[in-house]
Amino acid sequence: MQDARDSFFVALRTRLASINPERTIVLRGQVRPGVLVEENELPTAFQPTDAFTLHWTAMTVDASSPLPLVAMECQINYATDGTSGNGGMDRGRLLGAMDGELTAALVTETQSAIKKNFSGVAGTGAPAVTMSTNIFWSTPRFAPVKTSGERLERTAVVEVFAYQEAGEL
Amino acid sequence: MSSQLVPATAPVSNRLRAYFAPVNRTTGTPTLFDPAQQGAFSLDTPPAPWIDLGWTSNFTRKSASKIAPLGTGAPAIVQTQVRSEVEATLSLDFESWGKLQLAVAAGSEQLNLLVTATGTNPNGSGGTAATAVPITLSGSSATALNVGSASSTFNLGDIVAVDLDYTSQTGYVGSGVAAAYVTSSPAVAADINYIRRVTLNVGRVTAIASGVLTLGSPLIAGAPIAGMQISRVTGFCDREGGSFFQEWSALFVFDGQQGDRILYHYPRLQPLQGASEIAAPLIATATGLAAPLERMRLAAAFRALPVTDANDSAQVLCFRSYLPGPMRSL
Repeated sequence: MQDARDSFFVALRTRLASINPERTIVLRGQVRPGVLVEENELPTAFQPTDAFTLHWTAMTVDASSPLPLVAMECQINYATDGTSGNGGMDRGRLLGAMDGELTAALVTETQSAIKKNFSGVAGTGAPAVTMSTNIFWSTPRFAPVKTSGERLERTAVVEVFAYQEAGEL
Repeated sequence: MSSQLVPATAPVSNRLRAYFAPVNRTTGTPTLFDPAQQGAFSLDTPPAPWIDLGWTSNFTRKSASKIAPLGTGAPAIVQTQVRSEVEATLSLDFESWGKLQLAVAAGSEQLNLLVTATGTNPNGSGGTAATAVPITLSGSSATALNVGSASSTFNLGDIVAVDLDYTSQTGYVGSGVAAAYVTSSPAVAADINYIRRVTLNVGRVTAIASGVLTLGSPLIAGAPIAGMQISRVTGFCDREGGSFFQEWSALFVFDGQQGDRILYHYPRLQPLQGASEIAAPLIATATGLAAPLERMRLAAAFRALPVTDANDSAQVLCFRSYLPGPMRSL
């Protein structure tokens, strides 16, 4: 299941970086594409703006398939304050741009990606190991915009599916 | 990738893509698709002469083939079985509206609404057409039409029908694909534009330069031949009634998320119903704003006709092929 989560994150990050290379975030001193997984970062109440934050929430397993089919819900939160140079008056446009980027990344291309095992990558730089199955995902559902002060926030929910392969944790 | 086999799972996808190809009506020759050679093609670039008709929904195929018991003795005891009737139908909704989607779903001829001559009498499928524009073959191709100085009479975005003049031909007419069957010249009022009125050899002008009209997609009949002319088209029209049956070869592809693929190849399909459409509400939103809006999908239903499989001379209606994903157990 971790492989599926990692694979979805990397696929989404790669696609978003291709769609808008300028959407970056500075995290622990590093400039990275503007997408991160909340559980992989230091606990914080800080909601990064102009970036996509992935939260893994619900999960179910369908055991009727020859391989257990895991369905995981991924909430993608994003927010913007607009730009200070415009007095925040462009916050609607910036949120709309993020809506479009996420739609393009999740729907316009294929809704699947090869599952990979990234467990040996950290610290070694070894390439991820390609697994035998693909992950795939649903069309995203976008929640209504929330207004928090001058900030606009939205959550999109995607169901990510993966077959649990033999020996995979 | 691991060298271990993975248990095969049921294919998963959310939609099905349709491709159609011409049938030579005069010789009764369909376009055959060879899944062994061509099955893994990219969905966006089908092998020639297959034409992409886009995504479909509600794909339903029904076998009406009957298997009957054959009994002998008294009392009769079933000794064997026989196939007493072979029939198959299918239905689907096209997610796109276009010339070919309309044509294959029309149930009969599908007409081009040719731009009319000034002052002509009204007619349900279009009045007397304006004079056609001749093509210079030199400099023309399946995507370029050299019309010389007449290019000034065309505009970007124009739809054009390209075909021969009607000069008393009978039988199947229409270049590239048989578009209609003409029984006699009087039946079509000896209309010089009749073939262009029904032809599927149409395109949309996307550029005009140096007397050449560039089309957005290649003509179904390929490069123009001598005698072909151009008529401008405002749209398409089909009718309830008529005795002509369209016939096409069809291929439907269900692309699984695990690299597996199901292909349904119907070498000969004829329409089973007249032109119809399905109205469905647009996606419901949290606010309900979209509720009053409806999407009209083209509804099509077909009956499969037989071909002979060269491998064993069996008469068959449909070939269903399954291409397993990589390293799946069989």
